[in-house]
Amino acid sequence: MTGGEPIHRFGAACVVRRLWTGGGAVVGRWLGRYVVPALFAALFVAPLWFMLVGSLRPTGAPPPRTLELWPAEPTTAAYTRLPELVPLLRYLANSALVVALAVPVTVLVASLTGFGLRLLSGAARRRALLGLLVVLLVPVTAVWATRFEVFRLAGAVDTYLPLLAPAALAVSPFLVLLYAWSFGGVPDSQLQAARLEGAGWLTIWRRLALPQVKPATLAVAVLAFTFHWSNFIDPLLYLTSGDRYTWPLGLRFLLLLNPTDWPLLMAGSVIATAPCVLVFLFAQRILLADDPLAALRSKGRR
Amino acid sequence: MKGVIRLAALTRSYGTTTAVDGVDLEVRAGELITLVGPSGSGKSTILRLIAGLDRPDSGRILVDDVDVARMPAHRRAVAMVFQDYALFPHLTVLGNLTFGLRVRKVRRAEADQRARIAAQRLGIGDLLDRYPDQMSGGQRQRVALARALLRDPSVYLLDEPLASLDAPLRFATRADLLALHRELRTTTIHVTHDQHEAMTLGDRVVVLAAGQIRQVGPPQQVYDAPADTFVAGFLGSPPMNLVPGGGVLGGDATLTLGVRPEDLTLDDAGRIAATVEAVEALGSEAILLTRCPDGTRLTVRTGPRPGVGPGDEVRLRADRLHRFDAATGRRR
Amino acid sequence: MTRPRPALTGWAFLAPYAIAVALLVAVPALLNVGYAFTDHTGLTRDPQFVGLANVRRMLDDRFLLDSLQASLFHVSLAVPVRFVAAVGLGLLLAAPRPGGRWFRTAVYLPTVIPDVALAVLFLWVLNPLYGPLNQLLGLFGHAGYNWLADPTTARIGVVLMLAFPIGEGFVVVLAARRLLDGRLYEAAALEGCGPFGQLRRLTLPLLAPVLVLLAVRDIILTLQVNFVPAYVLTDGRPANATLYLPVYIFDQVFEFSGFAYGSLVTILLMLITAVIITGLLLLVRRWRVLR
Repeated sequence: MTGGEPIHRFGAACVVRRLWTGGGAVVGRWLGRYVVPALFAALFVAPLWFMLVGSLRPTGAPPPRTLELWPAEPTTAAYTRLPELVPLLRYLANSALVVALAVPVTVLVASLTGFGLRLLSGAARRRALLGLLVVLLVPVTAVWATRFEVFRLAGAVDTYLPLLAPAALAVSPFLVLLYAWSFGGVPDSQLQAARLEGAGWLTIWRRLALPQVKPATLAVAVLAFTFHWSNFIDPLLYLTSGDRYTWPLGLRFLLLLNPTDWPLLMAGSVIATAPCVLVFLFAQRILLADDPLAALRSKGRR
Repeated sequence: MKGVIRLAALTRSYGTTTAVDGVDLEVRAGELITLVGPSGSGKSTILRLIAGLDRPDSGRILVDDVDVARMPAHRRAVAMVFQDYALFPHLTVLGNLTFGLRVRKVRRAEADQRARIAAQRLGIGDLLDRYPDQMSGGQRQRVALARALLRDPSVYLLDEPLASLDAPLRFATRADLLALHRELRTTTIHVTHDQHEAMTLGDRVVVLAAGQIRQVGPPQQVYDAPADTFVAGFLGSPPMNLVPGGGVLGGDATLTLGVRPEDLTLDDAGRIAATVEAVEALGSEAILLTRCPDGTRLTVRTGPRPGVGPGDEVRLRADRLHRFDAATGRRR
Repeated sequence: MTRPRPALTGWAFLAPYAIAVALLVAVPALLNVGYAFTDHTGLTRDPQFVGLANVRRMLDDRFLLDSLQASLFHVSLAVPVRFVAAVGLGLLLAAPRPGGRWFRTAVYLPTVIPDVALAVLFLWVLNPLYGPLNQLLGLFGHAGYNWLADPTTARIGVVLMLAFPIGEGFVVVLAARRLLDGRLYEAAALEGCGPFGQLRRLTLPLLAPVLVLLAVRDIILTLQVNFVPAYVLTDGRPANATLYLPVYIFDQVFEFSGFAYGSLVTILLMLITAVIITGLLLLVRRWRVLR
């Protein structure tokens, strides 16, 4: 880091000169720190960009045969066409209903379980974590058919109840671990102080622990939202009446209906994706911070 | 009687280690008693047992003549101040103070009122809207004390309350704690590993080792007449010089003789010959590390500028010898 | 210190989750074994025990063979690609830098695209005439492929699609990298260890347990869960090239009333997963990364 001082002393002109002259190392640092990451970032954003661009083309007309970064005449015609072809609003309302039910359940189960892990100590916690790891490794497909059978025998097919099954499992053990880690930042002495004041464990969970892990709650809620909003397989299995479809099912319905009307399909995809992207932008502050583990534990004061 | 604590044959073990081993202790009403011992001596466990954060394997705990051993923590007439104060970081000072009252279903207005009074009493009345991370260590400790005050307990349990303060603040806070105790006159059990605190803060001090009480008494008495070699070596800094078999201090093989560093004086007429190996000048005093011809090392406390240096031959006079049984270590 | 009462309370807080796991995971998993030896169709209520009939059917099932082949090809390509992408990008973007969060956000974003939307999007991206991918190849003078019509390119197309939603592993690597002690790197730098030496001698060995867990989890996801986009994208076509085992199970159970047979194939899928994971763990055991 011997090059640091002259940069401060002579300002930006010197930076540029160093880049051109003896600054091979500086160029290397810039490549590693910004240029290469930017290329990868562009690569990962590209599909979303093509989705958006594709949705802004006129419907019915053949798309251009060459690469086009922005449509010549952008139009929202596809978005206005959509509700004429499928009951878009109905499907979106159904999706919203499912999310409104499933996200709170997910947060509840994940936070209760995470708090339970926090209270265990030593060997008991290791055992519970091992169990969680096993659950992490059990694939949904393994229990797909028979879970369907259980719900069929319970008469719950074509209701939203089976869609809450993943929520009762906290979506993924990762969300439980996220909470367990965050609650780990609440010291024993605080729990004991609250116990001495006569607070029950549920009170401690609700009034002491949860308010201190608001970042974790936000992150879990966002991840739960993206899961439930995107959930395709459970609605596909369990929902049979068209008027109960959620939007992911509606989008597939649209695909079967118009397999080649790309602006229309891209508009449908944008509508499916946009809420997840918007909601995720709230959580990236925590999940993708320089130190995500610390960000989760940062006390939720104010 | 309110404020009397009795522990009888109190025992608690974790797996194979016995943290508290048959402890009997009576704390008088209004007394400030200090539990002191090295880490792992069981002092914190005793505090947790009294608080109800842990259950004894056997033995009895009487608070105000009521056996509380099977009573849940919050029903006991005790209040505890934790080493890290255990303030709730998401609540203001007022929220911290009223937390327990609100849990116990005290109406908001009354809880606020009582919290304000307690805060005034500890001089933090103008900090009620602050959050814990906006306060200094000393202020946080006052909040923790105010929270304990609000419980109106028969006994305060203080778990190393000064350990997380820096040195100058610790000195001032020690005085504050004493003043507060003198004002409230509530029984207080104070746990520390710091012998200065033990000497200065307690009406009586309880020295613990390996889960057992080694000695109970007023600090000066314990210092002057340690009950065994452990207490002798633990209280006092630098620790007492202990010479098994007496050696240069005289005596016979059945004894271990001890002498405090301040009871060794440089005296040309002294009976003990020694070589100075190092001088630690501490400003107000100096510590001489010396070595006798038979290899015994003696630590000597002198005034500042003792006028000797490493390599010098000196003669020492020993006053106030302590005699311990060489086999059991008990005082004789 | 053991604290008996809080421990009990801890288990009590775990109870709702444990009940859900029992009812929604454990019981169905056991039922699988039971149903595999019946003639259950999924439509009636009284399945009959048929012994090993389903096993015999399985032994000369040409479609199952195609399906196995498709799944194994998919796993052997998709898992390494996803793993390298998640770990590589995680390590590349872990260090704090101005705007670092936005680079990470960009990498994570495809993960939040709903499965169906991702599949529809890649139907478009891989479209031979108008799709951006072939147009991109066109910029380099390449004629492009008829991606979803040819068995091999169809499989590669699916892998390409699944190379984007890698956010979960990416975030785990980011977090794990932050837990490593910075002083180790200073010490290594003082020993004259350059960036690649640090990666090889410090970062990867220290992260090894996490990486193994990620690989195991990704094998499972790839074999069994990530089939939704593939199902919408190709639905097994062309010529069974993408008839991955979960797609086949789905067809059997929910389309062809072969519930019992589907249960048996599920058990086969579980066994294959177990074999692959055991193989992986044995391999890394020789590297001594897991204590």
